[in-house]
Amino acid sequence: MKLNLGTIRSNCSGFEGIAHIADKTKNICYDSIELDFSSCSFFEANMAAPLYAVIARLRDELNDVTIANVPSGVSRILRKNKFLSIFNQPDLLDINQTTLPFKIFKLHAGEQFNDYLDTYMKGRGIPTMSKALTKRFRQSLFEIFLNATIHSQSSSGIFVCGQFYPNKHRLDFTIADAGVGIRENVRRYTGKATLNSCKAIEWAMTDGNTTKTGNQPGGLGLKLIKDFIRMNGGKIQLVSRFGYYEFSANGEAIQKMDNDFPGTCINIEINTDDTGSYCLKSELKNEDIF
Amino acid sequence: MGDQIKIKVADLIGSPLCISAEDGQKVFDKIEQLLRAGKQVSISFENVSMLISLFLNVAIGQLYGSFSEDEIRTQLKVEGLSSDDMELLKHVVDNAKKYYSNKKSYDDAWLEENNNEE
Repeated sequence: MKLNLGTIRSNCSGFEGIAHIADKTKNICYDSIELDFSSCSFFEANMAAPLYAVIARLRDELNDVTIANVPSGVSRILRKNKFLSIFNQPDLLDINQTTLPFKIFKLHAGEQFNDYLDTYMKGRGIPTMSKALTKRFRQSLFEIFLNATIHSQSSSGIFVCGQFYPNKHRLDFTIADAGVGIRENVRRYTGKATLNSCKAIEWAMTDGNTTKTGNQPGGLGLKLIKDFIRMNGGKIQLVSRFGYYEFSANGEAIQKMDNDFPGTCINIEINTDDTGSYCLKSELKNEDIF
Repeated sequence: MGDQIKIKVADLIGSPLCISAEDGQKVFDKIEQLLRAGKQVSISFENVSMLISLFLNVAIGQLYGSFSEDEIRTQLKVEGLSSDDMELLKHVVDNAKKYYSNKKSYDDAWLEENNNEE
């Protein structure tokens, strides 16, 4: 089976393009699938993570997935971020060191994820960000990563990669999984068996809502990230099954996609020039907390 | 009431990363046991390099399911947290109080609309 992949940017149509591959290959197993990149004129590096979520599903069904006709510009991007190494193609040295390479983490790999961030965020082409910004950014990534390990229920793992755009002073980081998706978790938790993806995402973005069971509070992670992104002037994109959610300075929007993305993907984009402190003016004491 | 007992979180979980629910549960179990015994407990976050809400929900937020706000206020304190992490803890505590005071309080009226099935 041969499938074409068009230009993939970090936006709704980019996610549609990736989800389209998943839709076309639904229920296919023990087959050969060739992803033809000849009409892909640009591939935004961070989108390697959601693309791999689709490939992981196909490989789970013992399909042989190959790629063909990757234009040289796209190949350069995807070899630099080590994505093409999953197709046994050699890596390309990232001279400017602006890439956080594609990597697959197992579900209990929180410590390795920390090592990964230590390695690729420090003292490289990625600018020295303020201490407060670095901390909030890393906290946000851990919230997303750990949530993915809990909610995806996918043994394929968690797929991550990032890219710094020096001219735009923007850093994108994407975390994807090939799991059951937010819709499935919210349906199970609320008992609403026909709830659609957009409603499920809205529910999950609401402060205090969590599908975590076991009589524990939760559901703060996404709210905290949203607060951070609002102050930073960045952007969040969240895709899960048929739902596409975006939040940025331009507002908040949720829309139904035509294709079913088989998992969940969160991309956060931050303004690396931000020097905000992210602290309240008055310091909290013990008696203010409990 | 005996002396104050200090829980050094990084030592207890064997990591400077306070990120996982499993480690949060380990800390919760210790605090719960000590509070039940009527002890004064100080939770020290010294040498912790990363702290997220997911961990705090389990380690501290969950206490509001077993103890009253008064008991927690008089027996528990935290130390070694930066001001932004104190703020994070405040969010977690407020969320936990809300969760246990009114469980399943989410407004599910809008969840009824299923006119856009997939």
